[in-house]
Amino acid sequence: MADVFTVPFLRIALLGGLIVGCLCAFLGIHVVLRRIVFVGAALAQVSSSGVGLALCTNTNVSVVSLVLTLLGVATFSVKSAEGRITQESLIGVAYSAASALAVLFVAKSAHAEAHLLNVLSGNILTITPGQVWLMTTLLVCTLLIHTLFYKQFLFSAFDSETAKACGIRAGFWDLLFYVILGVAVSFSIRVVGTLLAFGFLVVPAVIALLLSQRFAGIYTIATSSAWVSTILGLVLSYRLDLPTGPTIVAVLGVLLVVAWIVSKLTR
Amino acid sequence: MGIQTTQCGGQTVQEVDLGSDLVLFHQADLGYGKRRVLTNVNLVVKNGDFLAIVGPNGVGKTTILKTMLGIIRPLKGRVLRAPGIRFGYVPQQQVIDEIYPLTTLEVAAMGRYPIVGPISRLSKKDLDFVLSCLEKVGVLNLANRQFRELSGGQKQRTLIARALAGEPDVLVLDEPTNDMDIASEYAIMELLRDLHESQKVTIVMVSHLLNVVVNYAKTIALVDGGLKTMGSTSDVVTSESLSKAYGLPVQLVDCAGKRVVLAGGETDG
Repeated sequence: MADVFTVPFLRIALLGGLIVGCLCAFLGIHVVLRRIVFVGAALAQVSSSGVGLALCTNTNVSVVSLVLTLLGVATFSVKSAEGRITQESLIGVAYSAASALAVLFVAKSAHAEAHLLNVLSGNILTITPGQVWLMTTLLVCTLLIHTLFYKQFLFSAFDSETAKACGIRAGFWDLLFYVILGVAVSFSIRVVGTLLAFGFLVVPAVIALLLSQRFAGIYTIATSSAWVSTILGLVLSYRLDLPTGPTIVAVLGVLLVVAWIVSKLTR
Repeated sequence: MGIQTTQCGGQTVQEVDLGSDLVLFHQADLGYGKRRVLTNVNLVVKNGDFLAIVGPNGVGKTTILKTMLGIIRPLKGRVLRAPGIRFGYVPQQQVIDEIYPLTTLEVAAMGRYPIVGPISRLSKKDLDFVLSCLEKVGVLNLANRQFRELSGGQKQRTLIARALAGEPDVLVLDEPTNDMDIASEYAIMELLRDLHESQKVTIVMVSHLLNVVVNYAKTIALVDGGLKTMGSTSDVVTSESLSKAYGLPVQLVDCAGKRVVLAGGETDG
C-alpha cells in the first residue's frame, strides 16, 4: 500500500485529503450536533453555483464562490423568533435554487460543464501545494478559534437562550461558526469536490457519535475516520482505476456500517 | 437616579440604582416584533423575594421572563435592572437538545463560563464550585453520567445547579416542575424553598400550576393579558381573583397544612 504514495501527485493528494478531512470532520461534528446537516448540503450547492456563475462570467472562481457562500451563511444564520417560513424551508429553497442555478450556468457556458463536473465529483488528484498550504492555514485558524472560544461556541449551540441570559452573545458566536463553516465548505469544494467535502462533513461525525460519548473521543474518531478513508480511498482508486472522491466516500460508508454494528454490539 | 447601560441577554439594557429592588418593569408593553402579548406591565422584583408569576397558558408569563433577562426588549416602557445584576436562568428542561454528548458536570459547568471570561479555562476552584452546586441540588453522584440519560427531575436539578454555578443574584425558573410526577415536583419545590430560606436566594418563577406555587411563593403576580394584580400570596390568591382570572369558579381549601386550589364548584362568599 505504501508504494502507492511514492507517486508525487498521490502524495500531495494524500496530504490535501488528510487536511481537508480533518477540517471538515471537525466542523462536521458541530454541524451534526446543531442539526444543520442540510445547511452544509445547501452551502455546498451554493458554492457550486458560485463556481458556475464565475465560469459563466469569466470572473475569479474562488472569490465568487466564497461571496455567494457567505451570503448563504448570512441568510441561514438568522433565526427568526416567529415567522411563517421555517429556517428548514428556507434552506431547502436555497438548496433547490442553488442546484438549479449551477445547472443553468453550465448550460450557458460550454467549457463550464467539464469544470463543474470536476467540482461536483472531485478533483483531489489535481490538488496543488498552494492549495494544501491554504487548507492547512484554514485548519489551523479553525482549530485555534474553536479552542480559544470553545465555551462560547458550546453554550450558544447547546442552549442559546440561557447563554444570552448569562450575557453571552449567542447570535455573534452562531454567526461566526456559520462564517467559518461557509469558508471551509467553499474552499474544500474547490479542492476535493462537492461530494467528498460533504461526505467528510457528515459521515465521520456520525461514525464518531455512534462510538463515543465524550468530546475528546468524538474528535479523535471523526478525524481518524476521515484519515483512514482518505488513505484507503486513494489506494483503492489507484489500484482499481476508480474516481477518487466517490471511492473515499464509499470507504466512509463502509466505516459507518462497521461503526453502527460495533455500537449495537457494545450497548 | 444614575442610569448606566450594559449588556444583558445579548441586548443593551439600562441599569439603575433601584434601592432594594432588583428589577423594575415600568409601564412596559411586552411581545415579539409587532405581536403585543402584554400591555402596561408594572412589576417589581425585590431583593430576597420568592416571586411566582402565574396565569393561564399562553398569556405571556415566559415573555415577562425573557424581557427580564434581556433576551427580548420591551416594545414600550422601561425595564430597569440593578447595577451588575446577575441572573441564573433555568429553562424548561424539554428545550435542551439531547443530542449533545455532555455529562452532568459539563452541563452544570456552563453556568460558570460567564464568570471565567471568554478565553480562560475553568480552574480547579471553578470546578470545585460547580461540584458544590451539584451537591447542593442533590445530583453530585451523577456528575459523570450523560445528561441525556437523567430523569426529568434530575435534569431539572442539574439546570438549577448550572444556574447556581454563575453565583446569581436572582434565580429565574421557567415552569421548573412541568411534566414531573408529584415526588419530583415536591423535591424541586423543597429545593427552591431551601435555597430561598437558607441561602437567601431571590427567586422568580413562572408556573401555571397554582397548587405548586401557592404554598411556596411569598409574592404572586397574576397575569392575564396584562399584569392583573401583584402582592403577597395571601392577598392575591383568593377565590374571587382566581375565578376572575381563569373564568371559572375556583375554590381555596386548607388540607393537611397546605393550601389547595380547586377548579369548579362553589366560590367563597
